[in-house]
Amino acid sequence: MEAVVALERDAQLMLRVREGDDTSFALLLERHRGPVVHFLYRMVQNQAVSEELAQEVFLRVYRSRKTYEPTAKFTTWLFRIATHVALNSIRDRKKEKGHESLDEDALDGVERQVADRQPTVEQEMVHEVRLREVRQAIEALPAKQRAAVLMHKYEGLDYTQIAGVLSCSESAIKSLLFRAYESLRDRLSHMA
Amino acid sequence: MICLSKNEQGAELLANYLAKTLDAPRTAELARHIQECSDCRGLASVWERLDEFAVPEVSPGFDARLYARIAREEARLSLRTTWKSWRRWLWPPVAPLAAAAAVAALVLFLQVPGTPDAAKQANPTQSSKAEIEQVAQAVDDLDLLTPIDK
Repeated sequence: MEAVVALERDAQLMLRVREGDDTSFALLLERHRGPVVHFLYRMVQNQAVSEELAQEVFLRVYRSRKTYEPTAKFTTWLFRIATHVALNSIRDRKKEKGHESLDEDALDGVERQVADRQPTVEQEMVHEVRLREVRQAIEALPAKQRAAVLMHKYEGLDYTQIAGVLSCSESAIKSLLFRAYESLRDRLSHMA
Repeated sequence: MICLSKNEQGAELLANYLAKTLDAPRTAELARHIQECSDCRGLASVWERLDEFAVPEVSPGFDARLYARIAREEARLSLRTTWKSWRRWLWPPVAPLAAAAAVAALVLFLQVPGTPDAAKQANPTQSSKAEIEQVAQAVDDLDLLTPIDK
C-alpha cells in the first residue's frame, strides 16, 4: 500500500513538473537519484560512466516533461529510460573495446568502504576476491538478464514492473530471471 | 516438498522468500525446505552473495552538474526557438525580394551606360587625348633616365 502511495506521489510530482514546477523535479531527483545511479553502476561497473548515464536519464525525464502522461508507474518509466541508456552504453563499449572490463576506480570506491570498517588485511583480501567474483558473475550475464536481476534483487521492482521496463510478458521475465539466477548459482556455487 | 530450484515456479517462490515478501506460514515452510535441500540452499546463498555487491556514494556535485546541463539545453532550445520564429516571419518575404533585387541588378549592369566600354564609346576623343598624355609622360620619364654625358 505504501508503494502504491509512493508511486502515485511520483506521478503527481511529474505532472507538476509538466506544469513548470521545478521544485517537484528536484524532489523526484532526490527520491530517485540513488536507485538510478546504483542500478547503472551495477550495470556498467564504472562510477564515472554510471553517473554520466544517470545524468542522461534525468535529462531525458526533464525533456519529456511536457508530453508526460502517467500511463505507467513512474518507476517503470524511469527504469525503462535507465535500462535503455545502459544497454546502449554497454553496446557502444563492446564496439569500442571488444570486451567489457572492470573499472579500477570503482574497486577503489568499494575498498574505501571496506577500509572504514578496519578489517584485517586477510579479511579485506578475501572480501575483495568475493566481490570481484560477484561482479564478474553479474557482468557475464547477457545484458537483459543482468538488468532484470539488478532491478529484481537490488531495486525491489516486481515482475510486472520489470516486464514493463523490458517490454516483455511477466512469464518471459520469470523465465529470464530463472535462467539468470541459475547462471549465477553455477558461477558462484564455490563461494557458498 | 520438491526442490524449488528445479523449475521457474519454485524459483519464483524461493526468490519471494529471499526477498521476504511471503507470509509467515509460507516463510516457515520454505525455511524448513532450505535446511533440507542443498540445491535450494545453493540458490539462497547466491542471493546472499549478491548483497556483497556494494555501491559507492553518488558524487556530491551530481545535482549541480545535472542542473548545469539542463540550463545549457534550455538556453540552446530557446535560441533555436527564437531563430525558427524569426525565420518563419522573415524568410518568406525576404526570399522573393532578394531574387527580385538580384535580377534588377543584373539588368542594370547589362543595359545602363556606364560600363568602361560604353564610356569609351560614348566619348572617343577624350579617351584618345588621355592616351597621348600618358605616352608623352612616359617619354619624359625615359629622358630623365638617359645619362647626361651622352
